[in-house]
Amino acid sequence: MVYFGTKSEMASKRTNPVAATSATSDNNIDAVSIQLSEQVLQKKSTISPEDVLALSKITEGYLCTPDANVYNIDFIRFKIRDLDTGMVLFEIAKPSVILDDNQTEGKVEETDLNSGRFVRYQFTPKFLKLKLVGATVEFTVGSKPVNKFRMIERHFFRNKLLKTFDFEFGFCIPHSKNTCEHIYKFPNLDSELINDMIKNPFETKSDSFYFVEDQLIMHNKAEYAYNGGGV
Amino acid sequence: MGLMTVLKKMKQKEKEMRILILGLDNAGKTTILKKYNGEPTNTIEPTLGFNIKTLDHKNYKLNVWDVGGQKSLRSYWRNYFESTDGLIWVVDSADKRRLGDCTTELHSLIEEERLAGATLLIFANKQDLPGALSSEEIKEVLQLERIKTHHWKIIHCSAYTGENLLEGINWMVSDISARIFTLE
Repeated sequence: MVYFGTKSEMASKRTNPVAATSATSDNNIDAVSIQLSEQVLQKKSTISPEDVLALSKITEGYLCTPDANVYNIDFIRFKIRDLDTGMVLFEIAKPSVILDDNQTEGKVEETDLNSGRFVRYQFTPKFLKLKLVGATVEFTVGSKPVNKFRMIERHFFRNKLLKTFDFEFGFCIPHSKNTCEHIYKFPNLDSELINDMIKNPFETKSDSFYFVEDQLIMHNKAEYAYNGGGV
Repeated sequence: MGLMTVLKKMKQKEKEMRILILGLDNAGKTTILKKYNGEPTNTIEPTLGFNIKTLDHKNYKLNVWDVGGQKSLRSYWRNYFESTDGLIWVVDSADKRRLGDCTTELHSLIEEERLAGATLLIFANKQDLPGALSSEEIKEVLQLERIKTHHWKIIHCSAYTGENLLEGINWMVSDISARIFTLE
């Protein structure tokens, strides 16, 4: 049974970065340079896909403000399904959206995506054993046409990069509603890493960067725990 | 898991393939897309934008785009032509009234320069409906024999039952593979 979780906003995360304090001695230099590169990015007027692809860890803060989303791109649904069983494992949608009635497991506790750019997901350890997964996003676009819409999403456990999604949606029609499902083999993680991820809830994190014509317009963050269920 | 099997058959050479599904509104484009991956097809709304499926398997990638077919959206179709390897044109074989419209739209796509290299698959959909024209009849009405610039094939199918959907995409993927292969 997948445990569904809470999506909570962390107010402190919405402010600008504070210096990293958790660097251990052997990765100090790395941490400093990463911190520097994020600080450098913070000062840039526009941030490009290459800039974020060069980051080697999760960012401390947000690389753009909510106002940067001048296209009114609005994510209204996220869904994860297991293609081996066909089951919808997780679905979260804005209240105005009617959920598919085929959701077989779990419940959505929080149905408001308005609250912010930060989401926390809680899964059971079983989630890390999935093989073929489909992750759907649904979004609406405002009155302006959107060119070269691109998403770069990077998942880290601590400083280890687990997966990068890099996908160009391209053009989006004004006032459109669009969906995109990425179907992918779940990354092959070794059992030691899986155990670490289970034992350390919310140390698995992701940054989602959205670009229009190579300029950053949205930055969302998420954290993941895999210890739900029988604790 | 239909599309996953297709992906597995893709040759090492062409790591990425882009397929565009077009057709008049209510032709069944989204139903076809959903059926390929075992999603429920009982509550499909008109597409007011696009639906994308991307499949990653090892180094292969299949990107399928389904763009809404309503009249007001058709002028935006050209924004999705770039780098298209395969075009699937979906026909509601039971909607005889609009086959003229369907023919006009298809032939104007054929003339698009940016779709020049694309393999064309025509799905004569909704064969489960009484009164649906056969693929032979659709071929006549759509004047497919006129098409000399593209590799094309018409296959009758039912997105509702799933009949022939995999056969269609398999033909398309192997045609694209062969084409890319011979160009080298």
